[in-house]
Amino acid sequence: MLWLYLHFPYLLLEHFSQSDPEPRPMALISGKPAKVLQANPLAAAKGVAPGQSVQTATALMPDLQLIPADLTEQQRILRQQAVWLYRHVARITLYAPDGILTEAGSLCRLHGGLEGLWKTLESELDRRNLTAWLACGHTPKAARLLARTRQGQCTDDRQVLKQSLRSIPVEHAELDPKATERLQRMGLQSLGRIFQLPDRELARRLGPETCLGLQKLVGTAADPQKEWSPPAHFHRRLDFAEDVEHTSGLLFPLQRALQELEEELRWRQHSTDTLEIQLHHRVESATDLPLRSTAPEHRASAFLALLRLKLERLELISPVIGATLQVERFISRHTPAGDDLFGESDSGRDEAWQHLLSRLQTRLGDGALRALSVQDDHRPEQACQYQSIDTAKTGAAMTRHALPRRPLWFLKAPQPLVHMPLEWLAGPERISAGWWDGERIQRDYYIARLHSGQTGWLFRDVTGGWFIHGWFG
Amino acid sequence: MSYAELHCLSNFSFLRGASHPHELAEEAARLGYQALAITDECSVAGMPRAYAALKAHAESVAEKNRINGTDDAPIRLLTGSEFRTRDDALMLVLLAQTRRGYGQLCQLITTTRRRAEKGDYDFLTGDIESHDLSECLALWTPLSTHQDTLPAQGEWLKQHFPQRLWIMATRTLTDQDEEQLARLRQLAGQLALPIVATGNVHMHQRQRQPLQDVLTSIRHGCTVATAGHHLFANGEHYLRPLKTLQRLFPAQWINATLEIARRCTFDPGELRYEYPPEVVPAGYSAARYLRELTEKGIEQRFPEGITLPVRALIEKELRLIGDMQYEAYFLTIQDIVRYARSQGILCQGRGSAANSAVCYCLGITEVNPEKSQLLFERFISKDRGEPPDIDVDFEHERREEVIQYIYRRYGRERAALAATVIRYRSKSAIRDVGKALGLDITLLEQLISQIDWRDREHDWRQQLFDKGVVKKARTAEQFVALVNTLLGFPRHLSQHVGGFVISAGPLAELVPVENAAMADRTVIQWDKDDLESLGLMKVDVLALGMLTAIRKAFEHIGDKLGRRFGMEDVTPDDDDVYEMLCNGDSIGVFQVESRAQINMLPRLRPRKFYDLVIQVAIVRPGPIQGDMVHPYLRRRDGLDEVDYPNDAIREVLERTLGVPIFQEQVIKLAMVAAGFTAGEADRLRRAMAAWKSTGDLTPFRDKLITGMLARGHGRSFAERLYRQICGFGGYGFPESHSASFALLVYVSSWIKHHHPEAFYCALLNSQPMGFYSPSQLVQDARRHQVDIQPIDINFSQWEHTIENNHTRLRLGFCLVKGLSRNGAQEIVAQRPPGGYQTIEQLRDLATPDNRDMECLASANALRSLSQNRHQARWDILGHDTPPPLFSGTSVHDTAGHYICEDRRIELTAPSEGEDILEDYASHGLTLNRHPLALLREQGHLRFCRTAEELKTGNPGRPVQVAGLVTGRQRPGSASGVTFVTLEDETGNVNVVVWLNTARQQRQPLLKAQLLHVKGIMEREGDIVHIMAGKLTDLSHLLGSLNVQSRDFH
Repeated sequence: MLWLYLHFPYLLLEHFSQSDPEPRPMALISGKPAKVLQANPLAAAKGVAPGQSVQTATALMPDLQLIPADLTEQQRILRQQAVWLYRHVARITLYAPDGILTEAGSLCRLHGGLEGLWKTLESELDRRNLTAWLACGHTPKAARLLARTRQGQCTDDRQVLKQSLRSIPVEHAELDPKATERLQRMGLQSLGRIFQLPDRELARRLGPETCLGLQKLVGTAADPQKEWSPPAHFHRRLDFAEDVEHTSGLLFPLQRALQELEEELRWRQHSTDTLEIQLHHRVESATDLPLRSTAPEHRASAFLALLRLKLERLELISPVIGATLQVERFISRHTPAGDDLFGESDSGRDEAWQHLLSRLQTRLGDGALRALSVQDDHRPEQACQYQSIDTAKTGAAMTRHALPRRPLWFLKAPQPLVHMPLEWLAGPERISAGWWDGERIQRDYYIARLHSGQTGWLFRDVTGGWFIHGWFG
Repeated sequence: MSYAELHCLSNFSFLRGASHPHELAEEAARLGYQALAITDECSVAGMPRAYAALKAHAESVAEKNRINGTDDAPIRLLTGSEFRTRDDALMLVLLAQTRRGYGQLCQLITTTRRRAEKGDYDFLTGDIESHDLSECLALWTPLSTHQDTLPAQGEWLKQHFPQRLWIMATRTLTDQDEEQLARLRQLAGQLALPIVATGNVHMHQRQRQPLQDVLTSIRHGCTVATAGHHLFANGEHYLRPLKTLQRLFPAQWINATLEIARRCTFDPGELRYEYPPEVVPAGYSAARYLRELTEKGIEQRFPEGITLPVRALIEKELRLIGDMQYEAYFLTIQDIVRYARSQGILCQGRGSAANSAVCYCLGITEVNPEKSQLLFERFISKDRGEPPDIDVDFEHERREEVIQYIYRRYGRERAALAATVIRYRSKSAIRDVGKALGLDITLLEQLISQIDWRDREHDWRQQLFDKGVVKKARTAEQFVALVNTLLGFPRHLSQHVGGFVISAGPLAELVPVENAAMADRTVIQWDKDDLESLGLMKVDVLALGMLTAIRKAFEHIGDKLGRRFGMEDVTPDDDDVYEMLCNGDSIGVFQVESRAQINMLPRLRPRKFYDLVIQVAIVRPGPIQGDMVHPYLRRRDGLDEVDYPNDAIREVLERTLGVPIFQEQVIKLAMVAAGFTAGEADRLRRAMAAWKSTGDLTPFRDKLITGMLARGHGRSFAERLYRQICGFGGYGFPESHSASFALLVYVSSWIKHHHPEAFYCALLNSQPMGFYSPSQLVQDARRHQVDIQPIDINFSQWEHTIENNHTRLRLGFCLVKGLSRNGAQEIVAQRPPGGYQTIEQLRDLATPDNRDMECLASANALRSLSQNRHQARWDILGHDTPPPLFSGTSVHDTAGHYICEDRRIELTAPSEGEDILEDYASHGLTLNRHPLALLREQGHLRFCRTAEELKTGNPGRPVQVAGLVTGRQRPGSASGVTFVTLEDETGNVNVVVWLNTARQQRQPLLKAQLLHVKGIMEREGDIVHIMAGKLTDLSHLLGSLNVQSRDFH
């Protein structure tokens, strides 16, 4: 068996620099106090190195860009790499956070030999602006160590690979730290020196674990790998026998696809909230018809209802010859919260509410729906705001008694007060807040009865001007 | 109309109050309040500062009254504290009516603080019942959240504070104000309680609202934008003008504030320090006992009889001490010092009162008054009225014994450590304000790490933009303003390094006591400045490593000479010792071993004791920034003339040739040259000490300069003096401390010169201390022909020892990293007379564990039992029982002894390079060749000169040097210069890197372990500097000694 290992030394840094036109010096930091975890080549050229404190690193390079390490993000990015690699190789094992192992032996023929495979991968990496150090090895561990120490060669020659393995310093052999230190302090600095010693003697001095590790490295012990499988996504292409000229004609064929999707989702115990539908035309480029539900959904009937609304508003640019339905976003389904005694459940009501929102949004367009929300802020304008339905939190965390006395009818913009009121009912309530965001107010609020008989919410600002800000019922 | 504010928090209610106590006091005085109560949350820590500010205010009011013939009363300070239960069910402000009431308040604070974690308190409703609060007034805030229980709570409080309870009414113009007041009125009527107007003050002026919002956000761990209703709705929590208050409150409620203020008669000035009585034996008066001890001391100190001048000095001092009633203070210190002596703990006093003939006789100091040119009067003057200050240094390893003695003698009820107020500094202020404003934390940290703090906030505002930390000018402005205001705000109380307050009665009735971070340690709520402003005394019990080293060296010398050896046996005025110092040969010597001091020694050329006093004080940022070093040196060398404007100034400056070098001289100058009164001079001294944090001496500038001009001094003289005072600010060194330090400089130099092996052995055994690592000390020792022997299983003890008839220094096991002390001691205890013969014997007798064995093998301590350290480790590890997986054949004989394998494995012996690196790795130093010697031999450093060769080189020439980087320093006094110390096999090379060079070559400068420098040599005698040009990082060469490089230091 021949293994191929890809080590991504700057995975997260390169991900962040994808959008930069010019490469910039960057370093990944983590820990408290923060230390450099990784430095990209530009930064490394100025001496920024892993293990340095942020102080040292920025002293070396004042314009260094620091990026906090986020391991989950890095794992996600690593999985992305596995996805495209999967098109070229068969068996993949993820070595989080920065490596991918593949079995190369069986694939060489497909790519015209090992060199062909190697070249393919290198050009794919190039195309993606990714750095990876590749290495072959006869065991997974050997391939990994060679890749990580940047000693990889495109060869399956046992002698050559063994030779490079022998030169690896013991501190890079991924043995446990204690064993590593012991070996170093016995003058056994490279793997070559260690391979010369009898297993039994080593095991006695370093423990069976370390010895097993060394055996896995040379291949005298088995090293089973946990295979990664690609994430599924749902994809259906429909080809119509006859051109469809009216949107109503699309419903039936798409309904079938939606049925299939429902089955798939049921089998996976998943839901989705995003469906990509494309309508293909003969000449013109395809019409995109994204469907979005406000909450995860799996029932074909629900999708169909949304689709029907969407199609009602669609004008076809030309006849449709086929369609694709694709779902990439799967959401694992939560078991619904328990019903109450009468079979009514919060989740049931919530579902109905979400359903209503979906339908309103589809009909009126995104952004047309706004919700009134109470924000924790002393300023009346900030405290009471319309927000997009997705971000508004109904029933905010503010407790009842904290709510000050406010009119329900709240004017969008304060209006100048023309006549002094008849009667002062309450006040002043002084509000001085918001110095931090440029929306500072300094006002004295009063409740007063006006000549019109209305009860108004008035204020005087620092300049002495009087305004009406709302009406009490 | 007048008003007294009775509910006011200072910034000692951490993260609540947004103004300093003195700001509140001054503002209240300005507004014409009749009284101000500082009522910090479960604390009286802010009170002394408000008190100090109001004392100054009272003086100025008295002055005005005198001039205008008016009879204005100064504002009064009331003392109180705010308490809340954890569930917020009860909130009270208690005010001290009398001294006794103040004691009751302190006791309550102490109880609630002691039962909680450090920095916190836990007030229980039951405390009201269990504490005597009979002389405190109570102001009650009925909390609207507990509406139902309020009447019951009121009744209960009425029982405990009969005729001493008020309901607090506060109007901060919220929408609840009116309802709230209506409720209070109803409650007051129901309970028949009076209402008093209060402000719930959190800041002295409304402008502090942003800072108060920021503090609130920091406290709640959120940003100002998300803090919402945690913030106050407006900025009304400030000290409001009387007119405003008059509009807000009925006259009756305002009059209640005045009535309460009248009933609180306690004045912090009443606090008196009472000395513990046990320092004076029964039947004695303090004066008589001090006299008796002094006479006894005279007999010991002057066995041949006392000279007349010294006798006269002693009489004069005793008279002064008597006049000031300081006897008990001297006796308290004498008692502690006496205990230390009885335990063989070396100690040495310093400070204003320490350098007296009386202290010499009492054994508090070893500085002989005949030798020191020091005048006690110079340090204690009747008219200045400042308390005497004696700090006592003890051996650092044994100070704890002294502290435990103090606790034992006076009890924990009567002795506690003074506090140190930890304040916001630039970094913490930027971090906290930044977080509260919601700035990016990563960028903020990056900014903090890059700001050049010596560049006094000049361009960090710009850097805020450059780094993208802030996007808007408004935010930047706010950020900078908030940070600048927050600087110097107290954050929490910590324990002082060793300042004890010992009282006659329970300490908790004098000042609240709270828990410190260390278990079993308690601190009072005041720091040393507070104690000083209230006229209370503290005893500083400090730790000093050099005293440990000196005592250990004395023991070695005593062994060698076969008799006890002590301070008194050190021969004074030894020319050879001064000669050594003049050559800059002072590594390991107390105080003068730093690089700057070593460079100064050949220029200052100390030849007598007082020269050392100057040497210790002159290499300080104060004299350097005040530009006093060069004038002094030129005058000393006769290059400049010394002249004095008048005799008064001559008297102050004569001993330092007309250049002020000591802090005391600057203060005295202000008095004799500018006519400062004693009180003003004292305020100047404090302002100088605080200058670093506040940077404000301008109030004194006019007074100094006009004062000097009025006394006929020239403007340039006046300006120069003012500059010198500014330079001194915060960094000046007092002569009274310098003198005591100088003695230790002399003693340690004397030991180094006459008994080098004892000197180095003692220093190595007192680590960590001083500037130099064991490796550097060992190298210096070998340059002084001290024979150093390696760590050896058969010869070493745990500590370093002197062996072979006092000629050799044997390194001890203590150097070996990772070796357990017990294991090592067992090895020493079980060692057979002829030493261990084999590893097996070592195992059998001393039964060390494997880890210890491995450490010993790495340190090459098994050299006599094994071929080399690699093989030793292999053999040791082989002793382990084979793991089950591989236990096919037995490798032990029946007795369990290790027997050889059929095929014995021979590991290659380490190379010299490997040995050297392993030496460093295992015990931090090598007795093999220096790595640089090896590299030089290998031809890597072909054009480099050694440190030794540089001493005879021609100055002004380009040279190349290389060495291990042992130090990088950027002293604040040298603008932008980095000093790098390189070590090679012959000594140290000093490299000077100018700012521009440093900027262009950051990488080698900051990273290199082994640095190569091309530069220009400057030489003055043996003192050589290389002005760096090109820097090259050669650290990779160290790696070539082995496959792997390790840290050297």
